[in-house]
Amino acid sequence: MSTAAIAIPTRAARRPWPWARAAKGAIGVLLLLVAWQVSVPLVGLNSYFYPAPSDVVAAFADLIRKGILPVYLADSLLRYLAGLTAGAVLGISLGVLIGLHRRVSLALSPLLRFMFAIVEVAWIPIFVVWFGYGLKTIILALVYVVFFPVLYNTLLGVRTAPQLLVNAVRSLGASRLQVLRLVILPAALPGIITGLRVGAGFAFRGLVFAEIIAAKTGIGYLIFEGTQTQQTARTIVGMIVMGLLWLGMDQFYLRPLERATVQRWGLLVEAEQRT
Amino acid sequence: MLRVPAIATLVIAAILLIHWLTAWAGAHHKLEAVDPLPEGRANYRITLDFPPERFHQLLLQDKGRLVGVRGNVVDMMDVEPGALRDIAGWYWVTSVARWSGS
Repeated sequence: MSTAAIAIPTRAARRPWPWARAAKGAIGVLLLLVAWQVSVPLVGLNSYFYPAPSDVVAAFADLIRKGILPVYLADSLLRYLAGLTAGAVLGISLGVLIGLHRRVSLALSPLLRFMFAIVEVAWIPIFVVWFGYGLKTIILALVYVVFFPVLYNTLLGVRTAPQLLVNAVRSLGASRLQVLRLVILPAALPGIITGLRVGAGFAFRGLVFAEIIAAKTGIGYLIFEGTQTQQTARTIVGMIVMGLLWLGMDQFYLRPLERATVQRWGLLVEAEQRT
Repeated sequence: MLRVPAIATLVIAAILLIHWLTAWAGAHHKLEAVDPLPEGRANYRITLDFPPERFHQLLLQDKGRLVGVRGNVVDMMDVEPGALRDIAGWYWVTSVARWSGS
């Protein structure tokens, strides 16, 4: 095992002040908004084709005032969390199973590779036929989207668990379950978290697709409904809310979780520097 | 190490609690107009701050029989007391009042 690849993050490097980083990011957003607002009279199209930022802000306030956005947001979040949880549980379980048992791997790998190639959008119409419009179809679509990145990253984590440690624990008389609990799962954890982060990102895309096709509420439906009712500003509100949701989820939950896991179990210095 | 997710969860929980308390207080205030609530189903006139959109009509249909919409006013029949409390809890509902049904 190379010692160069493993390093305990002991350095006390000066980190940039978080608010300073946020302020720099805000400047970019502000510049984009100014450019957008200035371009509206130059383009000369009506607000249906090219709404100004002020129209979008007004649409946002209107959606809040009318109670539409909070309900859509809550519905989308509940669906998202349910799909993410179910997909993650399924992906981790099967990933560990395939990683540990060669026969299971041989039996399932071709099927999984085949299914991986079929995007979730292709499945949604079939889900609608089987389960109708609504929650079941949306959650199934999300499970499908989350499942594969979590599965493959878990599999990678399980297969790259240090054999030296597995042998060492076995030689001390550990059972298969103890090897799994004490060596393999901790070694796979950074991979699982990375898969979860990738899956969580994909799940937002899946959510939009599923809500456009199979829902009557939700942020994805808002994006679709906005264009149907010629309220393009509402569509843009939906897009911005979806982006902000992902940023919040990543910044406040997934990144800290990944960092904590990598520090505790993975010890890769690059992972800390990257974030 | 996981301080950020904990703080974020607390903030979300606080927002939900404030929302719930505001809705509860708002419902209490709006229901004074129809106090005491009948035990069974009754007819009500629901006033909003704006003409209802499809979203509002669908929500109201879940709570009773929506029989008419005129401007900002929605007439509803066969509304249970529990459903009326839910309606009064929505911040976009301005007032609820008894309605004879004709």
